[in-house]
Amino acid sequence: MSAGPAALDPARYAIAGVEPLSVRRPAAREEAADVLRSAARDGLAVVPWGGGVSLARGRAPGRYDLALDLTALDRVVEHRPEDMTLTAECGVTLGTLRAALAARGQELPLEGARPDRATLGGLLAANASGPRRLRCGAPRDCILGAHFALADGTLARSGGRVVKNVAGYAIHRLLCGSQGGLAVLLEASLKLAPAPARRVALVFGVGHRALGDPVRWAALPRLEPAVLTTVGQALAGALPVASPTDPFTVIVGFEDDEARVAQQAAVVERLLGEPDARLEDDSAATLWGSLTDLEDRDGARLTFTGAANTPAALAPLIERPEAAAGALFHAAAGRLHVFPGCTRAREIVDSLARAGFALLETVAGDGDPAGVAALQPLIAPQTAVLELRARIHTALDPAGVMAYGTRWEQGGP
Amino acid sequence: MNWTPAALAELRALLGDDGVLDSDAARLTYDTDALTLERGLPDVVVLPRSTDEVAALVRWARSHGVPVTARGAGTGLAGGATPCHGGMLLVTSRMDQVLALDPACMFAWVQPGLVNARLSELAAPHGLHFAPDPSSQPVSTIGGNVAANAGGPHCLQHGVTANHVLGLVVALPGGVVVLLGGEAPDAPGADLASVMIGSEGTLGILCEICVRLVPRPEAVHTMSLDFAEVGDACRAVSAVIAAGIVPAAMELMDRQTMELVEAWLHLGLPLDAAAMLIIEVDGPAVSLPDRVERITVIAREHGARSVRAASDAAERAALWRGRKSSFGAYGRTGRAFYLMDGTVPRSRLAEAVAAVYALADARGLGAGALLHAGDGNLHPHILFDDDDETQRQAALEVSQEILRACIRLGGTISGEHGIGLEKLPMMREVYASDDLRTMDRLRRAFDPDGLMNPGKLLPEIEPA
Repeated sequence: MSAGPAALDPARYAIAGVEPLSVRRPAAREEAADVLRSAARDGLAVVPWGGGVSLARGRAPGRYDLALDLTALDRVVEHRPEDMTLTAECGVTLGTLRAALAARGQELPLEGARPDRATLGGLLAANASGPRRLRCGAPRDCILGAHFALADGTLARSGGRVVKNVAGYAIHRLLCGSQGGLAVLLEASLKLAPAPARRVALVFGVGHRALGDPVRWAALPRLEPAVLTTVGQALAGALPVASPTDPFTVIVGFEDDEARVAQQAAVVERLLGEPDARLEDDSAATLWGSLTDLEDRDGARLTFTGAANTPAALAPLIERPEAAAGALFHAAAGRLHVFPGCTRAREIVDSLARAGFALLETVAGDGDPAGVAALQPLIAPQTAVLELRARIHTALDPAGVMAYGTRWEQGGP
Repeated sequence: MNWTPAALAELRALLGDDGVLDSDAARLTYDTDALTLERGLPDVVVLPRSTDEVAALVRWARSHGVPVTARGAGTGLAGGATPCHGGMLLVTSRMDQVLALDPACMFAWVQPGLVNARLSELAAPHGLHFAPDPSSQPVSTIGGNVAANAGGPHCLQHGVTANHVLGLVVALPGGVVVLLGGEAPDAPGADLASVMIGSEGTLGILCEICVRLVPRPEAVHTMSLDFAEVGDACRAVSAVIAAGIVPAAMELMDRQTMELVEAWLHLGLPLDAAAMLIIEVDGPAVSLPDRVERITVIAREHGARSVRAASDAAERAALWRGRKSSFGAYGRTGRAFYLMDGTVPRSRLAEAVAAVYALADARGLGAGALLHAGDGNLHPHILFDDDDETQRQAALEVSQEILRACIRLGGTISGEHGIGLEKLPMMREVYASDDLRTMDRLRRAFDPDGLMNPGKLLPEIEPA
């Protein structure tokens, strides 16, 4: 196994301040399987570790004995531009993949914060999502197959490298969003997309009343924007656009050929008026990156999902100014992050539940000023679903090696 | 199971008399799906109307130790809906309602027996449609599409069924009804719906399905291109993808297929060509001319002899009618044929098609090809004389050799038809024992009693 002792300092693998007893960094698939096998034998609780982007802000598992650092498994195994598919080891970073693909005019339909650190496996396991979700799809939509290691060291595979495949169970899709609780993703094959010829971001400052007006936004989803993101005032300062004086910034983005983007932008300007700023191509891409990175911000965070697809869905937040200022809503993806500050998390969850938002994920932050840790799911999962998850987890990890296995069973935030 | 009058009376009490069929004639009607090489007689056929009725049936079956096989329209081509172990055949054709349609959030809840094309018809007044379009769409059901993770010509641009399912209400093998996923793009907790899709009825019975609807394209441009060599047509397809163009569909018909379609429908297909491509681009009107121009240039560089655009909706419909009638065109010859399904990387299509012809030829059998070429998905048709046992056996062997060729070229044994009964033996060739054991572990976690569509999707696998 590679990497010097400094790189494997347990302090670098802390989750919510909890360090593992030891760290292993396998350089090959079989080595990863060996680590798991001996961990199972020794009764250790293992956390698969990519860039630590999602984990570092998460809750520590009940037991955390061994961090399995996968960043040495970082080869691009195969990129076939003429097939628009890519196979890579799961420790490769999003940044590395993006650079490799950009050179060939293609894009990975995956987004996540901190692309220089975030790994392919981490993005898949965390079901990461960004502002362009409607255009990109979810991780489960672009994964074609995967190699993974079960907790007992068994190396297995499902799916393949081709874009259509219905042979056997899609365990690779099940592992998307599994938070490292079921198995260790080692290699994944993905469907790619052509890089768009043109990107445009239209940026609008918006007041409370305009934000909550459903009629104003109703036509936007049918334009199939790549981005339809609303940012509260407390967050907007971190964006590469002029500092807003309005309570909200709404960003409508399009990615397509020149003619189509021009047409879509014209429709939006007819509906919403002249934008306060307009960014194009690389500047727009930089903005998407900033929007994605906003998620990885210090402090408490509540992440929701909902079917509502316009900025008006944020109306219930308007009465809670601090929470509204800390809102980041990717409407086209149905994903809403709220950085509540000191506003009670319970109140936010209750008011958004009335608008159809379900709590997906939480981060308590230092001192937990919003009372995130005390949240209980509003609608507890059905007993039969919990039992089924427990059976699936037990089937794949009977010895309970995966430290986040129980959390996968319980699900929710 | 002893199918006593009392047992059948229990089922009739659940569904009413017209929901339970047990006559020999009725059972024979349902002894196979579209893979007619395999048959299995159900002991009873049940036709529920609601989620509650499905749950009650699954509970009843479990308490009596009876296998349950779900069936939609029976258009499956891999024997997935053939009740090879007898038991209860649960037919969803009376569960055909749209339960809710939300045009603003662009989703619909439907029952599994709803016919695919019907959903798009009902969504059309809202400017929406359901994108997955298997060739069977005038009859096949959404439930069957989800169970098989069905594809279709337009999956090239729009994705397969799995990309269009948001939530599922499922009767688990114990008969408990659960919601997996929902109306939002994500759902809290584990994504069990994602593995239910494509599981061919082996993990539970679909009762209600929430599908994503997408805006109908503003404009459509359909063109037919003919080639003197099949390989040229395949390479043209790969070159279009390599140029970063993803058309809505790229379909290939070879001469054998064109001849049969032409003899039936008289569409004026170019019978002097070795292959014809149907390429369709859809989307905003403003974007189409440039895409069409680029595709045309690439196709000509790869040997397209002519490029003809459908001038109106009728011509477009005729092109698609020809393509989607291919299966029927082979069928109406009265000769037996074996329709196959395999996938290769798009850049290996030409090699794969050459292998199909060579393997069939070596056994003295005829072969025709129909390809979802843009997806690298092949549907070879192997022609044989059903009364000649040697030919019949040769056809089966050729089909397996073709699938082995797909695997060697980096592809797999099914792109959209599924494994069912047909491809059980081939699963061992595409997956290692540990892969299959892992899948078996998952299956047992859902269905410890092994009553959900037994004998499908996974071969028997010895323990490690």
